Amino acid sequence: MDRRDFLRQLSLYTAGALAAPPVLEVLSNPTFAASTPPTVNVVKGKNYEELTRRLLLSLGGMKKFVHSGDKVVIKPNIGWDRTPEQGANTHPLVVKTLVKMALEAGASKVQVFDRSCNEERRCYFNSGIKEAVESLGDKRATIPYVEERKFVPIVIKQGKALRDWIFYKEALEADCYINVPVAKHHSLAKLTLGLKNSMGMLGGNRGRIHQNMGQNLADIATVIRPKLTVVDATRILFRNGPVGGNLRDVKVLDTLIASTDPVAVDSYATTLFNLRPEEIDSIRRAYEFGLGEMDLKKIRVLEA
Amino acid sequence: MKGRKALLWARRLTQLSFLGLFFYLFRLTDYTGKDQIAAAVNIFFRWNPLVALSVTLAAKALLALFLPALLLAVLTLLLGRFFCGWVCPLGTLLDAAHKVVPPRGQGVGKGWVKVKYFLLLLISASSLFGLQLVGFFDPFALLLRGFTFAVDPVFNSSVTGIFDTLYKKGPSWVTSLSEPVYEFLKKGVLPYQQSIFSLSLVAFFLLLGIFLLERVQRRFWCKNLCPLGALLALLSRFSPLRRRPGKLCPSCGQCGKLCRFEAFQEDGRFVPERCNLCMECVAKCPQGMISYRLGVPSLQDRVDLSRRAFLGVGLTGVALPLVSRVGWGEKLPRPTLLRPPGALDERLFLQKCVRCGECMKVCIQNGLQPTLLEAGAEGMFTPRLVPRIGYCEYNCNLCGQVCPTGAIPKVPLSEKQRFQIGKSHFDKNRCLPYAKEVPCMVCEEHCPIYDKAIRFHEVTVSDGRGGTFPLRQPYVVEELCIGCGICENKCPLPGEAAIHVLSQRDLREAGNGKYD
Repeated sequence: MDRRDFLRQLSLYTAGALAAPPVLEVLSNPTFAASTPPTVNVVKGKNYEELTRRLLLSLGGMKKFVHSGDKVVIKPNIGWDRTPEQGANTHPLVVKTLVKMALEAGASKVQVFDRSCNEERRCYFNSGIKEAVESLGDKRATIPYVEERKFVPIVIKQGKALRDWIFYKEALEADCYINVPVAKHHSLAKLTLGLKNSMGMLGGNRGRIHQNMGQNLADIATVIRPKLTVVDATRILFRNGPVGGNLRDVKVLDTLIASTDPVAVDSYATTLFNLRPEEIDSIRRAYEFGLGEMDLKKIRVLEA
Repeated sequence: MKGRKALLWARRLTQLSFLGLFFYLFRLTDYTGKDQIAAAVNIFFRWNPLVALSVTLAAKALLALFLPALLLAVLTLLLGRFFCGWVCPLGTLLDAAHKVVPPRGQGVGKGWVKVKYFLLLLISASSLFGLQLVGFFDPFALLLRGFTFAVDPVFNSSVTGIFDTLYKKGPSWVTSLSEPVYEFLKKGVLPYQQSIFSLSLVAFFLLLGIFLLERVQRRFWCKNLCPLGALLALLSRFSPLRRRPGKLCPSCGQCGKLCRFEAFQEDGRFVPERCNLCMECVAKCPQGMISYRLGVPSLQDRVDLSRRAFLGVGLTGVALPLVSRVGWGEKLPRPTLLRPPGALDERLFLQKCVRCGECMKVCIQNGLQPTLLEAGAEGMFTPRLVPRIGYCEYNCNLCGQVCPTGAIPKVPLSEKQRFQIGKSHFDKNRCLPYAKEVPCMVCEEHCPIYDKAIRFHEVTVSDGRGGTFPLRQPYVVEELCIGCGICENKCPLPGEAAIHVLSQRDLREAGNGKYD
């Protein structure tokens, strides 16, 4: 093959590749297993690894969520260049234990990622989460940085405020998506919990989401539907959130909360801050959408 | 003969090693998971006697940072101008480009070889009177800027573009092959992020120009223009390492054709300060009779600059700083000229900054951008923070760590976190809670100051239907704001932000204290 020939074939191939329809396939959203009545599991303890295991045990074991061969996404909050004790990100030990348990349950791949607000490498390192995941030394468990090219436009069919947005493909394609937010104060939303944590899977100019945030978050919750939400309240940032920094703004609660109902788990978590679910816009809007329960009287709380 | 050929290979290997070191340090000039940069990534500037000389003259201070430059100066005094032939990465790249852009003509007039001395004189004289020109002519600055601003970003966008296209459009069997390759490339071959720079084209053309000059004459830049070469040449005059014989053999004269540095005069005499010890003539002499031995340096050949030219260039070097001081930038406020954290006094900064580009290479938010004319013509290529492109990361002080001259001081993180780059100001005509009475707090949310340098007033506004609702409007707490610019960067308004960091230089220079 001479050079001319080679170039011709290359350009033909390239043209073909560009003309071919994208092979994107967003799988239908896994619906969360709505338990009746909605249950929230709460555990307390100082040893966070043991705590996480106890929590999952009370939920019926990781195998209930992760099946053998599943591709799992675990989505903590790694938004900020802050250390674990500053309480701005999910606790690394909680994330690590969840990854470990997903692997034990037979996951073929466990990915941990978040679209950070500060420089992502700094966030991954200083949150301690990168090291925690990599310390497992299991090739199936990775903590990749979010890549621009993996965002895909999604039409939000049920959206009231958002008609479409770009979402992270890997999150949508996961067999099992576990949302692991950290419970924090937030100056606009009042609190940032599970529903708000899904923003980490959004591309584009996320600042826009902040206008009419409650409804936007509810709209997003119709697309990103975690099989399980674990709210990390091992320590909470109760002031100057969501970034914080000052240890005086952090309270250690040694608590984890989990539910398959993304609204119920957020609703219960508000009580840690002496707030009520209806004070948080996103909870109310998600409840109105029928995405879960917000009435604390109707939510069964299981302390293990 | 064998031993002599080995000399050539030793040189090539050394050249390649230093080129490799240059690229290795280039990649290492980035955040790698630790707050401290692991190696002396700026070593090419710190062992550079030209940079050391000009900064010392301009700042009127001896800097410990430049000890390696002293070492190179001493080595050159002893061994000659080996640096140009064995070490300089630009020289190595030019050697590598020789086959691609071979010289085509008859060379240039012999006066050209003096230009580099004039440049050296111009730079030194200007430095002494407070104008720093070295960055425009220093070979590493030209090389590093060209790579940082243009070559590396284009390399990344091209490679990433190919793999992205395969990822998005390719069939899955192609992706399954291409993705592992891409993953591998991302681990060290490609830069971590796609950077953009304001003067990419300028830096690229300057570097390209040096390579195009190869068409005129081999190593045109090194022989005729490089002021670092000029300084090393002056030092090498005192080297006791002498070439034997001291002129071309009348019967052969091959050395004259081989020599890439044209170290032989028309009458065949060897000029030591032009020799870069490349060893080509030693290795290729048919008689094997050329050697370098210890001897007494003969200083009879003077660097032949006419007195008139010398004075003319010297006086120009004195005049330029004076002219630059009557530029209007001296009085006109330049509120958006934000200097990197720690750079306090603008004039001292301009004197110490050698425009090497290291800080802009390392800035993890890509916020440090080369200045065009915002700081006057002499400020070209100096770094400035452009928050809308990238803000200053609160826990990062890498720019101060890589600065080879201390223009951006290496201060502890706790001190950097208090250093005021500027202050944020709201544009209430555009800010949503003011202009449109829409709740928004993205700037406040991102503010890294523990107690928040952006806070809210709560106001009650009319909803237009006879009722009212509470609205929170942000304001800046001046005492706390350090001007990191994350607010301006993250402001969700399209286009221009509704909050701006403005320099406080005017206030600071009026004597508001160091970390006011």
